[in-house]
Parts: sequence; structure tokens; C-alpha cells
Amino acid sequence: MGEVLSELSKDSFGRIGLGVFSLFLLLALVSPLITGDPMLHSTSVLNPPSSEHMLGTNDVGQDIWSRLIRGVRTSILVAVGVGILTTLIGAIVGVSAGLIGGIYDEVLMRIVDALLAIPAIVVLILIASFLRPTLWTLILLISILHWQGGARIMRAQTLSLKERAYISAARAFGAGGGYLILKHVMPGLGPILISSFIYSARMAVFMEAGLAFIGIADPTTVSWGAMMHHALKFYYLPVWKWWLLPPGAALSLLILSFTFLGYSLERIIEPRLRNA
Amino acid sequence: MLEISNLRVRYGESEVLKGINLKVDRGEILSIVGESGTGKTTLGLSIMGLLRERSANASVEGKILLGGVNIRELDERELRRIRWRRISMVFQNAEDALNPLYTVLDQVKEPLAKVCSDEAAEKKARHLLETVGFPPNRIGAYPHQLSLGEKQRALIAMAFICDPDVVILDEPTSSLDLISRGDIIRLLRELGENRAMLLITHDLATAARLSDRTAVLYGGYILELAPTQLLLSEPRHPYTRGLIRSYPDMRRTKDLQGMKGRVEFVEKGCPFYPRCTQAIETCLIKEPELNEIGDGRWIACHRGGIIPLLEVRGLTKSFDTFRAVDSVDLTLFEGETLALIGESGAGKTTLARLIMGLLEPTEGEILLEGKRVGERGKEFFRKVQMIFQNPRESLSPRLNVLEAVREPLDVQGIGAKEERRERVKAVLEEVELPSDERFLSRYPHELSGGEVQRVVIARALVLNPKLIIADEPTSSLDPSVQAKIMKLLNDIQERRGLGMLFITHDVALARKISDRVAVMRSGRIVEEGRSELILSSPSHPYTKALLRAATN
Repeated sequence: MGEVLSELSKDSFGRIGLGVFSLFLLLALVSPLITGDPMLHSTSVLNPPSSEHMLGTNDVGQDIWSRLIRGVRTSILVAVGVGILTTLIGAIVGVSAGLIGGIYDEVLMRIVDALLAIPAIVVLILIASFLRPTLWTLILLISILHWQGGARIMRAQTLSLKERAYISAARAFGAGGGYLILKHVMPGLGPILISSFIYSARMAVFMEAGLAFIGIADPTTVSWGAMMHHALKFYYLPVWKWWLLPPGAALSLLILSFTFLGYSLERIIEPRLRNA
Repeated sequence: MLEISNLRVRYGESEVLKGINLKVDRGEILSIVGESGTGKTTLGLSIMGLLRERSANASVEGKILLGGVNIRELDERELRRIRWRRISMVFQNAEDALNPLYTVLDQVKEPLAKVCSDEAAEKKARHLLETVGFPPNRIGAYPHQLSLGEKQRALIAMAFICDPDVVILDEPTSSLDLISRGDIIRLLRELGENRAMLLITHDLATAARLSDRTAVLYGGYILELAPTQLLLSEPRHPYTRGLIRSYPDMRRTKDLQGMKGRVEFVEKGCPFYPRCTQAIETCLIKEPELNEIGDGRWIACHRGGIIPLLEVRGLTKSFDTFRAVDSVDLTLFEGETLALIGESGAGKTTLARLIMGLLEPTEGEILLEGKRVGERGKEFFRKVQMIFQNPRESLSPRLNVLEAVREPLDVQGIGAKEERRERVKAVLEEVELPSDERFLSRYPHELSGGEVQRVVIARALVLNPKLIIADEPTSSLDPSVQAKIMKLLNDIQERRGLGMLFITHDVALARKISDRVAVMRSGRIVEEGRSELILSSPSHPYTKALLRAATN
């Protein structure tokens, strides 16, 4: 891990991605120290930025700065949670199907096909609007609906890796299945795992923000999407400058950092790309 | 005629002959071959009863029967009577064996002095000298006036003058040029009729042309005894094979190879074990006995001679209705290179993958060191390794040189981390690659084709396998690099007794590196045999076509 980090800091995309992401991570961690209570209502509503409220207040008098910074937590949690879950499910299903093959592979791949045919967003909106899920449930929901694409790609890659001469060579040294998966298949899947993780993370941030934006969210969760949802109601006031734009900009920046990280990590894991 | 049983000779402390048993019949020529210092000359001298003259502290045990009489029990007077009349010897070193003060004629007739009149003796000597091709006008000459060939002929005439029953020839041709050597061999064969002759030589060609049977002597033991042609074409003892391999032969196509180590004195166990690549524990403890193995062959080896490392029996692999490998039978011996040649698509690679267990055979079985290979455990891969076709692809792009070469050790769980690193460095040096930090941390895409190939070979060697299956290992290399790698593999074969199944479509290469060749076509072995035979006079039309294509 340390190696990956030091490699990351050598690459300019990696540096930017890592820097921005670390900044968000830091904000998420220290947010209680630099913000007030984001849920606290006050009588001063729809105030412009002032010394007391850095970004002013919203319609129920909550401090927008506090809500913006607390929102980082939500977005990162969703991103990392969904990223890990979808990649994990995808890898387990895809790699095992690729390696084991036969009926096992057939059954799993038909399930994947079925899931791919379902319009995930619609299902998600429907379920979410009924359940009004908490953040954790939302992470689980998004993950369950989004692992199939990754699984497919990982199965294909596993099938191709399985035929590589260096896997045969390792088998000819007496290597067993566990070793092959850990030492050769997984690293061979590395770039795909990373891009799957980044893709899912980005998608999850969008998805959560999107659901909150259209108003289907747990009202107790502080979320950038929910902020934008509420801010838009006051489009006729100049509050959008400090209520609508900051969460939008933060969202873009976070997503951009994921993109840069993914790009850079891929080059580290694939040494052949390094000098290219 | 001559029978030697349990003959032991020691010079002071060291035992030079350790129980020799031999029998030579009338009309037979038996060769004793071996390197210098293995006791050949001592054997000849002890039969003659001349050991004491040579070394005062020599002691002899055992029986030497000449026509049923144990000459070991005779006193010096009786011995003198049979010496030369019934048993004579052509001494090594023609240069010094003649007395410089006598003329040739005098020396040749000397043994007859007490047998017949001087006239009769001279007549007989002249006749015999003529028979051996000694120039008649030179019979009055003194030894220093003679050429080496003439001296040798004079010595031979001397040995045969009394018409003895047994003649011992100690390196009778070693000082002669090739043409005189041919003459002398022809002559000796004529003179040898009706006698028992013992030919002591290190020259395998002389043994091959002169003798009916050959005994291989090493460290005071006879290690192998067999009809000469059989012994030379199919040696069964690893020492015999080493001897033949290091002997330049006009027909053999494989490069010269020696044996590891040098002649050394062994206190206990098989005398050859320090140089043997297939020695087991028993070889260190117990002396092997000379046992008959059929076809008039005898061998002294705890392992029953060169062991068959890999045996493939009736191996078949079908893909649906297509038979990629069709009932293939192959045997690969320890320390031997078997080239598998044939065009692409003949099933060579499939056969290799079947042996490695990367494919499941449809039928047939595989035996490793005589044991049937079932489920392949780690043990199997420690003994058998494969060098894959297309070396670059058989290296993971994500492993650097150190990791790639260490991988077999990691998989097998051999040694601690530091030890593994040392072994990697050692094996890299063995394949003539750098082993410094910079090279160790390189990735495959940073290496040249030759380097990648060597890394792959190093990976196959790092486990010290007994058998390597090499699938076109040099096809991607320049001839100069290929030559180096083949030399390296040959050296490793010499040092470790590595068996190699060498898959190639390059007939010229196969000819140069293999002991035996198997020709494969459409999944079948169509012809198999010693490389020099198959590749000089093939019998199968497909082999002929392959050869024609290769020579054009």
C-alpha cells in the first residue's frame, strides 16, 4: 500500500487526484471541529454569507457551510461503500465463474443477464421512494443493483488470463488454485478492479446525489444532492450563489479526483504502461 | 582359457583392484577399458605375475586360472616356464619396452632360446616379423634406429613368438597413427584366432574394432561387461555412457560431453558415486555387485544402470474426434536428451502439456522414475520442469526478474526469504545473466529476447529438476545466443544428469544436441532411435522428407 502511495505521488494525475481526495477525506474527518451543528434550526433564514454564517443560511436557518462540509462524509461513505461492495461481489462472481466454468458459470451468467436487463435507476427510485432508506441501506441497495457489469468484465478477463502462458508456467511449478488467484489472476485483474471500483464509486456519488436531488432521501442525512434539491426551490432569490453552487462544485471536484486516481492507479498496476 | 576370480590387488594401503571376475575363452578378445588410473595395467601385470617387479609392496589375492591351473599358486620357477610360452604380453609404451642393446631379430627370438635350436628360432622369428609387417631389411637394426610403428610391430612379434594361449595387449595401438593402427588391428585379429586375448586400452575405437566383449573398469571394479557393439551403442552404466560421450567419434553428432568431477579414490560404496548423477544413499554405503541383465550383459549398479526417468505408455489425447496425440510410447533416460521433431501441428506441444499435467490424457499412462504419475503434487514439479514455447508470454508482466525466478521457490515453499534470494542469484549466474540489484528489479518488457529466454530457463532450473521438457526453447533467439544456451543446457546435463525432452522443428539443432530422436507426425511417433542413425539413414518416408527439407 505504501508503495502504491509513493508511486501515486510520482505521477501528476495521481498527485492531483490523491490531493483532492485526501482534502475531502480530511474534511470528512475533522468536520465536527470546523463546523457547527448542521441540523440546528435558527431564526435567521435565507441569510447571505456573513461572518457568523460563512455561506449564509437556508430556508430553515441551518448553516449552509456546516451542511456542505458534513455532506462530504455522506458522499465519500457512499462512494467507498458501493465501490468496495460492487467490486467485491463482481470479483467473487466473475472470477469464480471464469475459473470454475461449467454449469456454475452458466447459472451465474444468466443471473447477471437478468440483472442487466432491469433498469436499475427506475427500480432504485421505486424502492427508495417506498423505503426512504438510511445511508447504509442505500449503499447496499445501489451495490446489489450494480455489480453485474463488473462481474461480466472480470469473468471475461479471468477467462483470458487463465490461458496465459505464465499461468501455465506457475502451474508447472506446482502452484495450486489459491496461489494462482492471489498471485496472478487478481493482479491481472488489478486494472479492472480499480476501474470497476472507481466507476462504481463515481456512479454511487451521482446516484445518491441524484436520489436526494429528486427528493427521495432520508431527511436526516446531510447530502449535497438534498441541498441542491432544496436550493432549487428558491431559484428566484440570489441564494443559489452560495446554496446551489458550492455543493455542485464539491460534487464535481470529488468525482474528478476519482477519475484522476483511477487513471493513475491503472498505470502503476500495469508496469508496461509506466514508461509509455 | 583364462579365468580370473575375485582378484584383489593392493599397493600398500590402497586397494587398486577390488575383486575382479573375468573369463576369456579361446578365440575371444576381451577389452578392458577405462580412464587412466582405474587399474587396467595393474590387472594385466598381475595376470602375468609381474606385479612384484613393478612395486615391492604389491599384494595380490584371488585366483587366476590358466587352462584350469591357478597360476597364483605356482612358484617363480614354474611361473617363468609358462610366462611367454603360455601367456605373453605386449607392453604399453613401445618406446621403452625393448632392450636397447639387442637387435630386433635377437630380441624377438630370445624367448625361443631354450625351446629349440637357434636356427629354428631365427627362422621362426623372421617369419613372424614378416607376418606382422616388419620391414625385412630392418631386422638387424637396434631399437633406437626404429620408428615407433616398427617397435610396436617388433613387440607384437615378440609376444606371439612362442605361440601362447593367452596374450595380454596393453595399449597396443596408442602410440600409432591412424593408418598403422588399422594395420595393427587387422594383424592382431588374425593372430588372435585360437587364442584368448585381453586388450587393455582407453581407446574405444580400438576396443570396438578388435574385441568381442568389453569390460569397463573403474576404481578397481568392473562396472559393466557386455558384447562390445552393444556396450558402445547402448551403454547401460552411467560411467560407460560418460566414457563414450567424451570420446570423439566420427559418427556421433552430439557435442562432446564429459563427466562431472575426476577420478578419485573412494573408500566405501560404489567407486563411481562421486561422479554419478543418479547416486542414491545405498551407493555411498554398499559396493555394487556385477549382475547379469540378459543379452550377455553384466552391470554393477545399485540402480540397475541408467534409469528410465520418464516413460510414456500409450498416451492419447483426443479433442472430440481429433486425436492430437495418438498412442505415444516414449522413454527418456537419466542424463539424456531426446529430441522430439516434427512439423507444427504434429502434437509435440500437446504431448509436452500432457506430461506436465496441464492437459488430461484421454488414455495411457506416464511413469516418472518407474512410478506411475497420478495426481501431480508439488513433488512432481520439483523433479519435472518445463520451458514453455514463447518465453516472453510465460513471464508475468507484473513480476520483475527476482520475483519471476523466485516464483518456483515461493510456490514450493523452499528456504527462507534470504536463501531464496541467494538461490535466484546463483541460478542467474549459472545461465550467465547479471545478478545485481538493477537487473533483479527489471521487468520482462525491459529485457531483450535472449535475456527473457535465460530468465525462463533460470526459472526452470532453480528447483534443480531431473527432467526438463523444453518446448522450442531457442526458437526466438539469434543463433549465437542459441548456441550459448544449448551449451549451457549440455553442461547442466553433464553436471546434474538432467534429462531433457527437447521439442523442436529444427532438425539441424536436434542432430547437434540429442542422444536420441523421436519423429512425430499427426500425433504418432513414426520413428525413434539414436540421433546419428535416424538422421543419417532414416527409414520412414516422413523422416526422409524432413531431412531433405532440412538439408536443402
